[in-house]
Amino acid sequence: MISHMSTPQLADATGTGLAGPENVIEVGALRQKYGDFEAVRGISFAVPRGEVFALLGTNGAGKTTTMEVLEGYTPATDGTVRVLGLDPIRQHRELRPRVGIMLQEGGFLGDLTVAETVDLWKGLSQDAGRPVTLSGSTELPGGFTLMGTRIRRVDRVTMGALELVGLEKKARVKVKQLSGGQKRRLDLALAVLSGPEVLFLDEPTTGMDPEARRTTWKVVEGLRDAGTTVLLTTHYLEEAERLADRLAIMHEGRIHTHGTVDEVVATSGDMITFRLPGTSWTFGDLPALDGVTPVLTYAGGGTEVGYTLTGSDTGTRAHAALRPLLAWADAHGETLGRLAVRRGTLEDVFMRIVGEV
Amino acid sequence: MKTDVLHAVRLARIDLTLVGRNTTVLFNVMLMPILIAALYSTFPVGETAGVSGEVFVLTGVPGLMLAFAVFINLVNAFTSRREELVLKRLRGGQPSAAAVMAGSGLSALVLFLFQVVLLGIWVYRFEGILPANVPMMVLAAALGVAVFGLIAAAFSGMTPNAEMAQITVLPVLLVMMVAAPVAFPADVLPGPLAVVTGLLPVTPIVEMMRTGFLGADHFTSGGEKLSMVGQWVAALPSIGILLVWIVIGGLLARWLFRWEPRHG
Repeated sequence: MISHMSTPQLADATGTGLAGPENVIEVGALRQKYGDFEAVRGISFAVPRGEVFALLGTNGAGKTTTMEVLEGYTPATDGTVRVLGLDPIRQHRELRPRVGIMLQEGGFLGDLTVAETVDLWKGLSQDAGRPVTLSGSTELPGGFTLMGTRIRRVDRVTMGALELVGLEKKARVKVKQLSGGQKRRLDLALAVLSGPEVLFLDEPTTGMDPEARRTTWKVVEGLRDAGTTVLLTTHYLEEAERLADRLAIMHEGRIHTHGTVDEVVATSGDMITFRLPGTSWTFGDLPALDGVTPVLTYAGGGTEVGYTLTGSDTGTRAHAALRPLLAWADAHGETLGRLAVRRGTLEDVFMRIVGEV
Repeated sequence: MKTDVLHAVRLARIDLTLVGRNTTVLFNVMLMPILIAALYSTFPVGETAGVSGEVFVLTGVPGLMLAFAVFINLVNAFTSRREELVLKRLRGGQPSAAAVMAGSGLSALVLFLFQVVLLGIWVYRFEGILPANVPMMVLAAALGVAVFGLIAAAFSGMTPNAEMAQITVLPVLLVMMVAAPVAFPADVLPGPLAVVTGLLPVTPIVEMMRTGFLGADHFTSGGEKLSMVGQWVAALPSIGILLVWIVIGGLLARWLFRWEPRHG
């Protein structure tokens, strides 16, 4: 965390020392209670400008609650939050035009068409002094009546928003007729329409097919490249690995680990696994690698051997461990069946956190 | 402020588009009040406050239209939009809370004024009477929409879902249908009842509308012809009552209105 204690104009009035223009999102010792239930139990993190930060966790981990406090929907029970240096509740009016929000679900006027929905959002954005600059490759003609329904023109700006998320063929479909995944895409289009400086995405790809998910990732990457700061929550570890510059894993209202994907994954250790014939092996027969003894499981007339390497040199520890292992195998005339070296994954870390508490 | 006005107008236009696409709402909001007017106008016989009973009733019917076009319409709209998370989404988008509320109020005002215009055409066509004081009628409509829009917001806060809205609106609807001085002037009621009726928000709206239509004093049962200035002076207590109700409605709405369904 960057300290600005020496620059008074940046000092945070709340005394948390979090303030600073570099951090677009700041959360300090946030607690959030609903009645007796404490959904968020004291979390702190900061997201610098232009970064994609992912909050990972199971359902009920407190991710959405954290988002809603940052979005200005709910006041914090305790602690401080700042978005672009502003209080999301008290300075909502200043903040609103600069922020894009993609909710977890719903909230559309079902009787409007997709294009009309985008038009409404576009108009609201223009009224607030943020004209939409997207431009599509085409426009749809209108101004005539077809079977009793007035067909309105869909302009290039609106088509641009729809093309961005792959909904251009659905321009004239009523929103209530869209599938769940299509509604998510429309939601994304609305969230990014006004070119927000900060984007909150709450489980953006839930319910999307793989193709739509990839489209969404491209949109988010494009926005990040353009300097947008993104806070996203997700269940999908693959999504966090692909998109997030940094991530935090939340469980039961607390952040259990955070850092870049590499930093977080490094804590999980590298795995070396192989199979030896026979079931008479014990630990004492096998070498310690990087100071680690193996775990043995006996199955199908053989012995499965697994080492989890947690040495500090994350880049080379697997390589360093293989050398003595292969030397041991040569010396004993054994063949290491199905030998595999696998880097720890985010899933390993995630499952450890979710499982251990 | 300017942004809020632009947003409110934009949201009101969308509201009206949606009313046009929803047959149930269209019936409740547009046809129902006209049917009520037709029904009420068959009751009276003889003369009331210097005009024929039928004219008296028709010029007071806007008070009942308000119940349907504004109150019930808005309780339904606020409740279903809260359940569908539309309100949450709008609040997270560009418009402010005030603009979202004003947008709904504005669309209700347009619907209500449209009905008053239809009623005016009816009164002219069959009774040969042209409205005497249109600004007073518009002011009555605007104040009425403000009061009942805020009360609708408060009631929607007490309404768990759109189906329940049919029930939660009943108390207000019944009071409006019984107490509004549509069929007879408020001051012919026995003492305390007349006072209570006079303080209800629907009464000043009915009386201002009728006075605006007929250019005569219908704040009492007298019905004497009044000058334009006289009409406005006579309307001052009614305007005062409505302003007080706007404050009460605003406080109730602030206390009870909710933007999101309850958690859990």
